[in-house]
Amino acid sequence: MNEVVAFWILSVIAVFGALVAVRKRNLIHGVFALLVFFAGLSGLFLLLLAEFIAAVQVLVYIGAVGILLLFAIMLTERVTGDDDRRVTSRGWFWGLVVTAAVFVVLLLPAIQQLPPPKAAQTIDPSVKELGHKLMNPYVVTLEVLALLLTAALIGAVTAAQGVRMPKEEDSPE
Amino acid sequence: MTLLGSGIFKGMAVTFRNFVGSYFHRERLPTNDYSWRTEGSLPQHAGDYPKEEGEQLRDTTTVTNYSRNFPMLLHDGSEPMDTIRCVACQICERSCPPQCIYIEKSTEKKEDSSGKMQFYPATFDIDVSVCMSCQICVEVCPFDAIVMNSQFELSTPNRFGGLLLHQGDLLKSNDYYHKIHPEEAAARDKRIADEKTAKEAKKKAAAEAAKKKAEAKAGAETEAGDEKKEVAE
Amino acid sequence: MSLEPLTLTDILIATVPLMLIFATLFAFTTWLERKALARIQNRIGPNKVGIPCTRIGLFGLGQPAADGIKMIFKEDIVPRGADRLFHLLAPILALIPAMLVLCFLPLNFPWIKNIQGLVKPFMLDGAVIFFFAITGLNTLAVFMAGWASRNKYSLLGGIRAVAQMVSYEIPLVLSAVIVVMMVGSLNAAEIVKEQADEYWFILSPWGFTAFVIFFIAALAETNRSPFDLPEAESEIIAGYFTEYSGFKFALFFLGEYIAMFAISGLAVTLFLGGGDGPGVTMNPEDQGLATEAFPGLSAVWFLAKIFALIAVMIWLRGTLPRLRVDQLMGFAWKFMLPLSILNILVAGFAWHAEQLDNTIITVITWVISFAVLYGAASGLNQLNRGKVRPREYKYAE
Repeated sequence: MNEVVAFWILSVIAVFGALVAVRKRNLIHGVFALLVFFAGLSGLFLLLLAEFIAAVQVLVYIGAVGILLLFAIMLTERVTGDDDRRVTSRGWFWGLVVTAAVFVVLLLPAIQQLPPPKAAQTIDPSVKELGHKLMNPYVVTLEVLALLLTAALIGAVTAAQGVRMPKEEDSPE
Repeated sequence: MTLLGSGIFKGMAVTFRNFVGSYFHRERLPTNDYSWRTEGSLPQHAGDYPKEEGEQLRDTTTVTNYSRNFPMLLHDGSEPMDTIRCVACQICERSCPPQCIYIEKSTEKKEDSSGKMQFYPATFDIDVSVCMSCQICVEVCPFDAIVMNSQFELSTPNRFGGLLLHQGDLLKSNDYYHKIHPEEAAARDKRIADEKTAKEAKKKAAAEAAKKKAEAKAGAETEAGDEKKEVAE
Repeated sequence: MSLEPLTLTDILIATVPLMLIFATLFAFTTWLERKALARIQNRIGPNKVGIPCTRIGLFGLGQPAADGIKMIFKEDIVPRGADRLFHLLAPILALIPAMLVLCFLPLNFPWIKNIQGLVKPFMLDGAVIFFFAITGLNTLAVFMAGWASRNKYSLLGGIRAVAQMVSYEIPLVLSAVIVVMMVGSLNAAEIVKEQADEYWFILSPWGFTAFVIFFIAALAETNRSPFDLPEAESEIIAGYFTEYSGFKFALFFLGEYIAMFAISGLAVTLFLGGGDGPGVTMNPEDQGLATEAFPGLSAVWFLAKIFALIAVMIWLRGTLPRLRVDQLMGFAWKFMLPLSILNILVAGFAWHAEQLDNTIITVITWVISFAVLYGAASGLNQLNRGKVRPREYKYAE
């Protein structure tokens, strides 16, 4: 019973955050609404006893991605749009159709009352088990990902530094 | 090579000594001690503040030697305006971080205490509501004309300009300076005297050197004149 | 982990005393800090406010209450053009994470003995990672406050705070990783148990290095001097809370101090043995609780250690001047980050050496790792040493 109440509260928070994030013209407000959505999602993970995923959700999405978004917005002009102007788009009809289709697909298991996929049945969401999985069968994947991210990091630093043009006046001294 | 981070520990040792020492040595606390006043002797009316009582020695001698708050101007003799040390060079005005000093230079020169013709400040105001007691004006003054006073209780009923100290309020005699900061004043006087003697000695030496040079030049000119004569012949 | 249904009483018993205790400690700490700073500067500090309507000063212990009353009755000013909603939300958002992470500290209060399940969050397998995740939210609050105030100085303070917090979070987490590596668990109670069985991690070379890095990064995370650039009053007035007054300011203040307690508590958990001490035996089988000489002794030890760290923080604040922005960033990225990464390597080798269970090898490893870490720290220090120019005076000689 408690879990059901918690689920509904968290779902309402998440959906509300997502809606506000889409509708707000003010970018900063939008980002913070998105963060509310992330927080609600993290609460839902916690409800499923996936505490590590919940922590990582907070750490990565709210702590890192949120800050990154805010920094990016700080660098743009016209942070505050007026909220009075409605967001309109010519493709709203097709957007609605696609959204509805995705929603239906996501709901299919619930409608047909399918059993959950095999992986979901066997998974143990505890931190220890996750650590063992990452370090034993998936260690190569992890290392490759780490390497990729490091390469991306170095690439970003290089790109941010810009190209150094050699000056013609500079004689070797 | 010094130990890594030893500078931080040195600083922490200093603050720790202060922390412990302030509990055992009362003289470490430079805060004003009001205990000399009997209960109820605080002035009841703001206008009764002892600002009119001239040098305020009654208050300033009760604070410790190292207490300082706002600047004052020094003069050497009995007549403050005739013996003022300030020559209105405006260095302090320019170096004052919160810009609380306002100086207007006089248009004509006047004799100072040593008989030299000098400019003097026609207006010298310090807004002590802005002053942050940093003492930079004292550091930069080349004439030892501005030093720190230890006068406190400057409260005034006048909100507009009541804390703007004019030349008359700021001028204090060197004797007063000796009373409130004996060590500092003695050191300053000694330095001024030393500089003066050094300057005089230098002047003397320069004069002698100039004299010698002039003599030598005269000699050389006569020699040159002889040579010219020889060439001409 | 068994999840039994919790009653409302359980939840209240677990949370309300925690908040009350730390709020009281906050009041006491503000008084302590003012007193200590005053003594460091050869002043007396607050000594007038004691029992109302009498002249009994009680060393100024009534000062926090007087401050609180003043804060509540002050006018709450919101600047024109400011984002009113965010201006209101920011101090609340600053307080919530700080309060929330307190529950991840393995404080063995006697009254939580009978509570089951998730209410003892420090028994969570991911307590440490949760701690870092939620502490990170503080950055958002600071940014929100800076942005919502519609003031240049606030915004500058907010941006400074975000840059600083993001930079120092990396060495903070990396130094905690070492402890997690040594114990093999993210569970706070297990970390404490391990230290009670073996040794407090601060006593080993890598643990000491990690503790120093952690402590410095914690100072920066909580915006304490010498890293108080986001609120550098000589440069940007009061930084992100320039436009805050009254109760909102008090909330910021409270949040900052609670964050100090929380991060000190984590340092105590990770490096200083948590609630371990004379008269306490840790037994994690019993829900991470301890056998104590008398009830609450473990919590008393824990709080005493927290206060020792807070005292050092106050002492440092009285000693060190503020860093410059470039020094701040350079210190994080050029000194702390390489050192903490090296420390992880050293700790890894040391762990393997300890598995051999040979005293001589262990001692040799400790000596070598100490030499390596000290050498690396000195080397990094030498590398980063910039040229110091003598000060130029404009008018004076």
